[in-house]
Amino acid sequence: MSNGKTKLACALLAATALALSSGMAMAKDIVLGASVQLTGPSANTGRYYKDAYEFAVNKINEAGGVKVGGEQVKLALKIYDNQSDVNLSVRQYTQLVSQDKVDFLLGPFASNFALADSAVSEKYQIPMVQGGGASDQIFSRKFKYIFGTLAPASNYFGSTVNMLKELDPAPKKVALLYADDAFDVSVAKGTRDLLKSAGLDTVMDEKYSSNASDFNSLLSQIKSNGAEAVLVAGHETEILNFVRQAKSLAVAPKMYSFTVGVPSEDFRKALGKDADYAFGMTAWLPSADNKDKWFGDAAQFAEAYKAKYGYEPDYHAASGVADVEAFAQAIEDAGGTDKAKVRDALAKLSLDSLYGKIAFAENGQIDLPQTVIQVQEGKVAAVYGAKGFVEKPKYPMPAWDKR
Amino acid sequence: MDLLAQVLINGILLGGLYAIMALGLALVWGVLNIVNLAHGAFIMLGAYLAWHLYVYLGIDPFLGLPITAIVMFGVGYAVQRGILNLVVRAPMFNTLLITFGMEVVLTYLAQLAFSADFRTINPSYAGTNVALGPVVIPTVRLAAFGVAIALTVAMWLFLLRTKLGRAIRATAQNLVAARLYGVEPRHLYAMTFGIGIGLAGVAGGLYGTVSQINPYIGATLTAKCFAIAIIGGLDNPLGVIVGGLVLGIIESLAILYIGATFGDVASFGVLVLVLIIRPSGLLGRTA
Repeated sequence: MSNGKTKLACALLAATALALSSGMAMAKDIVLGASVQLTGPSANTGRYYKDAYEFAVNKINEAGGVKVGGEQVKLALKIYDNQSDVNLSVRQYTQLVSQDKVDFLLGPFASNFALADSAVSEKYQIPMVQGGGASDQIFSRKFKYIFGTLAPASNYFGSTVNMLKELDPAPKKVALLYADDAFDVSVAKGTRDLLKSAGLDTVMDEKYSSNASDFNSLLSQIKSNGAEAVLVAGHETEILNFVRQAKSLAVAPKMYSFTVGVPSEDFRKALGKDADYAFGMTAWLPSADNKDKWFGDAAQFAEAYKAKYGYEPDYHAASGVADVEAFAQAIEDAGGTDKAKVRDALAKLSLDSLYGKIAFAENGQIDLPQTVIQVQEGKVAAVYGAKGFVEKPKYPMPAWDKR
Repeated sequence: MDLLAQVLINGILLGGLYAIMALGLALVWGVLNIVNLAHGAFIMLGAYLAWHLYVYLGIDPFLGLPITAIVMFGVGYAVQRGILNLVVRAPMFNTLLITFGMEVVLTYLAQLAFSADFRTINPSYAGTNVALGPVVIPTVRLAAFGVAIALTVAMWLFLLRTKLGRAIRATAQNLVAARLYGVEPRHLYAMTFGIGIGLAGVAGGLYGTVSQINPYIGATLTAKCFAIAIIGGLDNPLGVIVGGLVLGIIESLAILYIGATFGDVASFGVLVLVLIIRPSGLLGRTA
C-alpha cells in the first residue's frame, strides 16, 4: 500500500472508531441509547446532543450515579451516528432496543428524525426523552412513550409577535419564510395564526426547499413588497446565506428574526459584524437563576461545558442535558428501571434543572416561554421575555451601508 | 417591473457561477468520458482552500484563485494518474462507482479535517453592491460572473488554438489516430482531469465568497453541474455558459412566479425537456 493510501485508510479507520467508541456499558449500568447526527449535513447541531448527553452522564456518575433501591447505579451511553439519514436513525433505534437492549432512549436532533424515531420507542414501549424535536406533529399522535424538552414549534415566534406589537414604530407588513421540513412547517402554521390575531398584515408567506442556497429572488421580493419585519424559520446554513445575500442586495427591513442560528456561537463567528441586529429566540439562557442538582446552576454549567468542549452551549445542549437529568430523576422516583413505571414517573416529573422546570404536559411536551434575543455588537442580548422588554432592542435595523 | 428586472439580473449572475462550476465537469466528461460524481466535492475542497488562504494568510479570495487553481490542478492530475487512469477504458459504471466513492471519502475527510462547522469567506467588499437604477448588483457576484465568462472563453480558445488543447480534442475524437501522432494518452488524460479539477477549485473559491461552506455542499453541486453540462452540451465550453445562464434564470423566475420550493423542480424539468428535444445539449451538435 502506498503512503497516501495508508493515510487514507487510517483516517477512515479513525472515523469509524470515533463513531463506535461512544460508551462501553458495564453489566449493571443503566444504559441510555441514542442515534445522533455526528456526520452529514446536520452534524453541526447534532454534536450538541452527543456532547450534552456525555457531559450529563459523566456529571451524574461523578456524583455517584442514580439511587435505585438504596443502591447507587451508574449511567452509561450507547450512541450511534445516523449520518443525518432518517431511515438509518430508525434502524439504529430499532437496533438499540432489540439488539443492544438499552434501558431507555434519548432523542436525535431535529423534528423529522424525532417524528420517525418516536415510532420505535412507542412500538417497544420504551420511554424516549428527546430535546431535539419541537414539531407539534410529534406530540399530536397520542403516543405514551415520547417526551420532549423543546417548546412547541407552533409557538416559537409567539414572544416575537408579542414584541412586534410593542416596537416603536410597530411594523405592519410582515413576511414569513420557512423551509419545507416538519419543524419549520409547524413553526409557520403556528406563526400564521399568531400574526393574524395580532392584526399584522402578512405580505408574503413562502415555503422554500431545505438546503436552498440562493435567496436572491426571495430577498428581491421582500424589497419589492416592502415587508418591514421578516420572520424566517429555517436551518443555520440557509440563514447564513440569507443574511449575506440580504447585505449584498441591500435589503434591509426594519427587523428580521430567525428560529435558529442567532443563539449559536458559530453563527456569529461565520457572519462577524453582519450578525448584528439579527433577532432570534431561545427557551434557555445560561442564567444563574436556573438552579440545578448536578451542575449547581445554568451559568456554572455553561462555563464547564465551554471549558470541556471548546464552544458555548446553546439551548440544544441544555435541552440535551435536561433529557438525561429527567431520566435520572424519573428512575429514582420510580425506584427502578421498569419501563412502564419510569414512563409514569416521567409523566409526573417536576424537576428544577439548569434548563428550567421540567414538567411534561399531557401530550408529553414541555412548555417553556421563548425569550427574544438579538445580536448586539457581537453578543447575544435578551430583549423580550414573558414579562415584556428586558433590554432595549436595536430597532429599526439601519440600512447596510449605514452600519 | 423593477422586481422582474432584478430577478432576471439575479438569475444571470447565478448562471455565471453555475457555468464556472460546471465547466470542469463538462470538460472531463466530454474528453475523458468520465462523469465525475466527485466534482462537487472538489469544488468544496477548493472553497476550503480559498478559505484557508484568506483567513490564515490574508490572501484576497479573488487574488487567491490562481493558487487554488494550481493546487487543485495538482490534485486532479494525481487523482487521474493514480486512480482514474486504471478505469478509463473500463465500462462507464466503474468510473461512476469510483468517483462516487471519492465523493463520499472526500466529504468525510473534509469533516474530519475541518469539522461540520460552516464557514464563510467574507472580505470587506463581500456585501457591497452597484446600483443600476432600481436594480442592485452585488459586487462579488458580478466579479464571479466576470471570472466565469473569462475562464470559459479562455477554455474555448485553449481547446481550439493551443497544441495541448488540440491534442486533448484529438484524443477525445480518435484515440488511435492521436496516438499515431505521438500523443501520450495517460499524461494527456491527467492534464485534462487536472484542468477540470483546477476549474472546480476556482469555482469553489468563488462559491465561498457568495455562500456558506461546509463539508456537505458537494453532492448538490454535482447534481447542478450535471444538469448544466447536459443542457449546454459537452462539446463546446460556450454551451456551458448557456446551460448555466438558462438554469440560473429559470430557477430565479420559478421562485418568483411559482414558488420557492419549485426552483429545483423547474431546473430539472428543463433538463428533461432538453434531453427530449435536443439530447446533445442546446449548443451541442445534433445527432
